[in-house]
Amino acid sequence: MSRMRITGGTVYDPANGVDGDVRDICIDSGRIVADVPADSSKIDARGMVVMAGGVDVHSHVASGSVNLARRLVAEERSRDAVPAPDFASSHDSVPRSGTGGTVPSTFTTGYRYAGLGYTTVFDAAVAPLSARLSHAEFDDTPIVDGGFFVLMGNDEYLLRLIGNDERERAREYAAWLLGAAGGYAIKIVNPGGIERWKQGDRRPFAGLDAPIGVSGVTPRAILETLVDAGNALGLPHPAHIHCNNLGIAGNVETTIESMRAVVGRRAHFTHLQFHSYGAAKGGVRCSGARELIEYVNTHPETSGDVGQVMFGNATTLSADGPVEYLLHKSTGRKWVNVDIELETGCGIVPFSYKEQAAVSALQWVVGLELFLLSADPWRVVLSTDHPNGGSFMAYPELIRLLMDRTYRADRLKTVNQKLLDGSALADGISREYTLREIAIVTRAGPARLLGLRDKGHLGVGADADVTVYMPDSGGDWSRMFSTPRYVVKGGTLVVEEGQLRQAPGGRRLHVRPGHDAGIEHGLKDFFDRFGTVSFENYSVGALRDAPCAVRDRS
Amino acid sequence: MTPGPFTAAERVIGAVTCLGCGCACDDIDVVVRGGAITDARNACTLGLAWFGDGCLPARVRVSGVDATLEAALGAAERLLTRSTRPLVYLAPDLSCEAQREGVAIADVLRAALDSTTSTGAMASVLAAQERGRASATLGQVKNFADVLVFWGVDPSLRYPRYLSRYAVEPSGLRTSEGRRSRTVIAVDIGGSRGPADADLRITLAGDDEVATLTALTANVSADGRRQPQDGPWALARELTPALLAGRYVTFVADAEAEVRFPDRDPGRSAALIAMTQALNARTRCALSLLRAGGNCSGADAVLTWQTGYPAAIDFARGYPRYRPYDGTALARLTRSDVDAALILGSSGLMPAEILAPLAQVPCAVIGPRASDGPLARCDVAIDTGVAGIHEGGTAIRMDDVPLPLRPSVDGFAAAADVARGLRQLVANARRAVPR
Repeated sequence: MSRMRITGGTVYDPANGVDGDVRDICIDSGRIVADVPADSSKIDARGMVVMAGGVDVHSHVASGSVNLARRLVAEERSRDAVPAPDFASSHDSVPRSGTGGTVPSTFTTGYRYAGLGYTTVFDAAVAPLSARLSHAEFDDTPIVDGGFFVLMGNDEYLLRLIGNDERERAREYAAWLLGAAGGYAIKIVNPGGIERWKQGDRRPFAGLDAPIGVSGVTPRAILETLVDAGNALGLPHPAHIHCNNLGIAGNVETTIESMRAVVGRRAHFTHLQFHSYGAAKGGVRCSGARELIEYVNTHPETSGDVGQVMFGNATTLSADGPVEYLLHKSTGRKWVNVDIELETGCGIVPFSYKEQAAVSALQWVVGLELFLLSADPWRVVLSTDHPNGGSFMAYPELIRLLMDRTYRADRLKTVNQKLLDGSALADGISREYTLREIAIVTRAGPARLLGLRDKGHLGVGADADVTVYMPDSGGDWSRMFSTPRYVVKGGTLVVEEGQLRQAPGGRRLHVRPGHDAGIEHGLKDFFDRFGTVSFENYSVGALRDAPCAVRDRS
Repeated sequence: MTPGPFTAAERVIGAVTCLGCGCACDDIDVVVRGGAITDARNACTLGLAWFGDGCLPARVRVSGVDATLEAALGAAERLLTRSTRPLVYLAPDLSCEAQREGVAIADVLRAALDSTTSTGAMASVLAAQERGRASATLGQVKNFADVLVFWGVDPSLRYPRYLSRYAVEPSGLRTSEGRRSRTVIAVDIGGSRGPADADLRITLAGDDEVATLTALTANVSADGRRQPQDGPWALARELTPALLAGRYVTFVADAEAEVRFPDRDPGRSAALIAMTQALNARTRCALSLLRAGGNCSGADAVLTWQTGYPAAIDFARGYPRYRPYDGTALARLTRSDVDAALILGSSGLMPAEILAPLAQVPCAVIGPRASDGPLARCDVAIDTGVAGIHEGGTAIRMDDVPLPLRPSVDGFAAAADVARGLRQLVANARRAVPR
């Protein structure tokens, strides 16, 4: 791997306290180093902005559900055909064509993320039963390092252990499940709610202490058990939580109650925007962003990503089957549901967020409020819950909304105002994100929340994932962030002068925390009785890349 | 994993996945003695036939003459890169890993790409793209389905263990009494009968199938309007209470049926989907679609993640276009729009209507029995093993659940490796001559 010096760029590396200083970045053997010999290749970055490669903490790019979504929205891809990029093929990397739209094909996903300067992506929802599919899809998603979170919040075996008050065994089971799936973190989606949907229980959510069906297990117990498991196992990323009641008027109370249920313990709450609605007169939604962010601001153990809604086409896809059913019924759009045995669910509904639709406008506003009222960008980071709130391709536009209040105000005037009474954004927020803050919410912050010590920064020893942007002469931040001039991934120059030059395979980020081997005994019996896949065939086995480190157990 | 007793010369490979049909049962113990399979325990008759004795020819031929693998791959590369309208066809018995190489070859060649899906389950694939689908993995059916409706299909014929492993007999979480926990409804449609062991049997004329589904959809949507009393409406009224009595209703239908019943109403797939989706307004309901073996569901999945489309793809413009009506392998071959073809997989399991016109087209065949199958007289024939018998990797069950493949007999070339070699040659040739 070649040595390289990126010279004279204006560097934003907030993890190392570098805020717009002009300095060189040196690379050797895929890592950032202090210096390289004079004959190393050079990238002239004078006048340009240098940041670490972007890190996406919550996206949907590689799973059985994503692939069903690709199949479902075939009609949108004929408008977004993607010829193979023009780079030389190597032994194991042939330039590949594909299709885009809201759920791009795998090669196109890798190319497009890299083309935005993102070099690490996590898929946020994988059923362990189909983990092999996620690994195969990531194998065909070039350039980016990838990993995924393992769905556990409605897992039948886990619910049984919790119901029997066997929380230590539940923790060991979670550890086993992570290793079996080759996943990176524990994911909870609508704790208990998917199980209720599969049982045919349509009653509205009745609070964290309402038991789920016959097991007597409550959403609170699921949250506590899995959050504690994540922390006790020393996982690099804490439990990643999609709360109950997504999208429902007044759900901000549920979200805050869920946060309080694990107060004082590290936990990550995802796509906060979809969980931050108040209930105004007549039961209609209003912004609950102020209330939500006040809690987050004052609880340093709590982190989140926003799940911003962007106007345009989206594809909603989630393990949260009951929510997708409601969306199908309310929009009349086509609908996929898959009840996944013993583990979770899956729902998919195409959707369009429209400026003139009152709810879409409210959602757009709520997301921006969360960003703009957040006191700590390290703990409230950027996502659109791709492709749920919008495509990752909309990140540059989102960055512009955060950095340019004039642009934001102009856009705000064009959206439906019906539900915006009393919203902080409508009342006027003057804050503009700085480049340092953008570097935090798009790379340094997500990397820190994910426990990726070698990513999201440019200190000596870090992975040589570097993005170089050319500021737009007209001051359009969206333009600057949508077409980086150079992208380096693991020391390889993958984007040069805005063109894709190489597409090496990415690494798989996963953990394999040890577990009490005793857990496997009862499990095999459970598989034999209730499963359809042999216990011996369930685990994905050893992966090519070594597992990421976990902390010593606490 | 290692059931005994066995002799020293005998090996037993446990938890093997069978691709004899789309059930992909992964509890097979394969017994191997002296390099041949002597038993496949737990396998059904279809499975036993699929495993066979594991003995296959292992020849490499160019123009009917024995050749080295290197020479054969070179000949295949030349045949394909000199073509102007190449077709890459994914036949059964390939691992997902081999299918991935096949798509890569088609992409580099700017070829047409298709699989057995386009002559098998295409109507249900297209209907699901139009409407979505309320579905479930097979274990959900096993654990929850208390009302099972077999819609013109008796799985015991083409999917022999479906009833014992997944749908009728097994006991599960909410079906602890097995068969007794479930109401089985057989719907006989024209000549397609449901299973013999049914609690309720309804008979439809083939012409009434879609009308009955539409009436059922209206009934379960329960808008309270007065409905007609005759024909399909009467049948629907008979069926509706049984459906609404279920807590988790599962409709089972054969997605591959249109090959064998070309006179089926083309609207049946969409009507089945609409009906089963609508029932979710009243209770829970899933549609379980039966799919053929040989990892055809894997082809759908691989093509979708690599290109965005499940079958019938055209790379001629340098990017994938979906042409499910005029761009299938059959449509192209019928109008002589193919001047060279690469067949990956078991040519012996390809539909006859595709094999016939292929006899007139220069062909490279890489797969089990390439050298003595129906395309044995092709230009290049490279024998490989069968995915799941001689070759490992991944396959996908009819419900999109992935499973590992465990080879039990070794000594055969892996189709994925051979295809990878060809992909590299084709990519190098394309690089040498920029397009």
